[in-house]
Amino acid sequence: MNGSSMGRRGAGLILGAVVLAALVLPPFYLSGYWVRVITGLLMYGALASAINIMVGLAGYPALGNIVFFGTGAYTVAVLMVKADTPFFLALAVAGVVAAVYAALLGAAVLRLRGAYFSIATIGINHATSELVTNLDGLTGGGRGTIVPFFPGSIEAERMFFYFLMLALMLLATGTVYLISRNRLGYGLRAIKADEQAASVMGVNTTRYKVLAWTISAGLTGLVGGAYAYWLAFLEPPYVFDIVMSVKVYIMAILGGAGTVIGPVVGAFFLELLSELIWGRFLEAHMLVLGIVVVLVVLFVPRGFVDLAGRLARALAGGSASRRAEGVRSDG
Amino acid sequence: MSQILVNGLLTGGLYALVAVGFSLVWGVMNVVNIAHASYIMLGAYITYWLFHLYGLDPFLSIPVSMAALFLLGYAVGSLVLNRVVRFGLVMTLVLTFGIDMILQNGALLLWSADYRSITPAYAGQGLAAGGVMIPYVRLAVFVLAVLFVALFSLFLSRTRMGNAIKATALNPFAAELNGVRIQRVYALTYAIGAALAAAAGSMVSVVYTIHPQVGNVFLTRAFVITVLGGLGSIPGALLGGVILGLAESLATVTVGIGWSEAISFTLLVAILIVRPQGLLGKRFFGGVG
Repeated sequence: MNGSSMGRRGAGLILGAVVLAALVLPPFYLSGYWVRVITGLLMYGALASAINIMVGLAGYPALGNIVFFGTGAYTVAVLMVKADTPFFLALAVAGVVAAVYAALLGAAVLRLRGAYFSIATIGINHATSELVTNLDGLTGGGRGTIVPFFPGSIEAERMFFYFLMLALMLLATGTVYLISRNRLGYGLRAIKADEQAASVMGVNTTRYKVLAWTISAGLTGLVGGAYAYWLAFLEPPYVFDIVMSVKVYIMAILGGAGTVIGPVVGAFFLELLSELIWGRFLEAHMLVLGIVVVLVVLFVPRGFVDLAGRLARALAGGSASRRAEGVRSDG
Repeated sequence: MSQILVNGLLTGGLYALVAVGFSLVWGVMNVVNIAHASYIMLGAYITYWLFHLYGLDPFLSIPVSMAALFLLGYAVGSLVLNRVVRFGLVMTLVLTFGIDMILQNGALLLWSADYRSITPAYAGQGLAAGGVMIPYVRLAVFVLAVLFVALFSLFLSRTRMGNAIKATALNPFAAELNGVRIQRVYALTYAIGAALAAAAGSMVSVVYTIHPQVGNVFLTRAFVITVLGGLGSIPGALLGGVILGLAESLATVTVGIGWSEAISFTLLVAILIVRPQGLLGKRFFGGVG
């Protein structure tokens, strides 16, 4: 017993070290193209983890969550362009602005459930995008805005954004891990299972939901802010993009909404696939992506983590029944 | 001022037709059909090509586009959607989003992003009365759109199939016990929704310039109208369509054309919060969800 738990801890340490190495080493060995691709994977991993707090833990399909990405991106852009704010300060403000926006909206919008909630979030995304487009004195409007370039060599820039996105992904995934083992996580799961019952049991559902959305939005806003600096050019349709929003949602579902690591796995899988499709079918890549979306819903509606679990159980079940048969034949 | 009201009313009629199929599918099947946008677009392109290749009058091609989209809708409904309906509304929303991506980008590959328009011989003519100008085309579209909505309403209340659809909307389980084949009703409802979208699309192609993304703008309207009027409610779709048409028409002159979507969606979110069953709606599936 003791030995096996020691062994398990050893295996865990080794696995952790391998994962850490796999995350830290790539920018030192891979070509610029692949470093950029993996930076994108990390970004989507962070976004999928952030939306997972709403979709997976609280069971609220925040399909328009990309609104906080755009809000964060434009906060960084405006602060850096109009007020010469240093990047990290602007980034911190972006997270706060997005979180506050969600907190303000949440009190009203989180009274809606299911599809009504998801449509309201899509509506908020459209309206915010149009607001940003119309405030063109501040945001550059439909012409877009140029964010100050990263001051440094191309190699330094590559490293900077790789590790920035890695940090954000670890932050987002770590947050999901912490929430899921904390009072907030238990409350959210109760809400997901049956909101009325949770409320009767004394969970302050409104406070929990608003808090969850605030955290999710803050993280999404941080990623948006980082993206603005990485991309160096912003236009409202780029950062309030509903296709991107649905893609992130699909990533969370594909990996396994509600699990800690699932959405990251889903994000890596789908974004890598999307990158390969992009390379191979430049013209038709959105079409192929649509086909992938349909196939995911048809064949993996509960996600990879669930699929892996069922496969493992099926295998274990198979060997257990074989053992049982063995015992019987022995007896 | 009266010109603004007339414009709003004429647009509102078309909006009602755009919304009614969307509202039906949502109210009966509990499916938010994002692909509705593509069905509108395909209807518009069918009319466009029949006009340009064969000189067919755009109003005469409406039955063709409806029939084609009915078949496509039936295929999608029975082969794809019926397998996923039980996973709930958000999953079907994502699924139809995927279908929409396929159709829209397929159209983009086939027909490019070019803006196209139909100009029949009578395009520029109109009726002038009391300082108000009413183009014949827009008047015809309005009358036809309202007629289609009325006919569809009769179909639901007077035919066996229509009654089966209504029964399924109210309670699928009870309907099944009474011998209604739910899967078939779903496929048929979805096909009718697509055919209505095609009719709207054919008319869109006469009034507006079209391109592969043309349906998206109308989808957002269909959302707003459905929520405004109530899921599955036909009078609600008419009322919602006219209200939205008038609101946009007024907004265009008062605050500027760039704000129309923001206004639609603010209206949408406000109504969702204040009266989620819509102005004329009963609680179908949506109230549960």
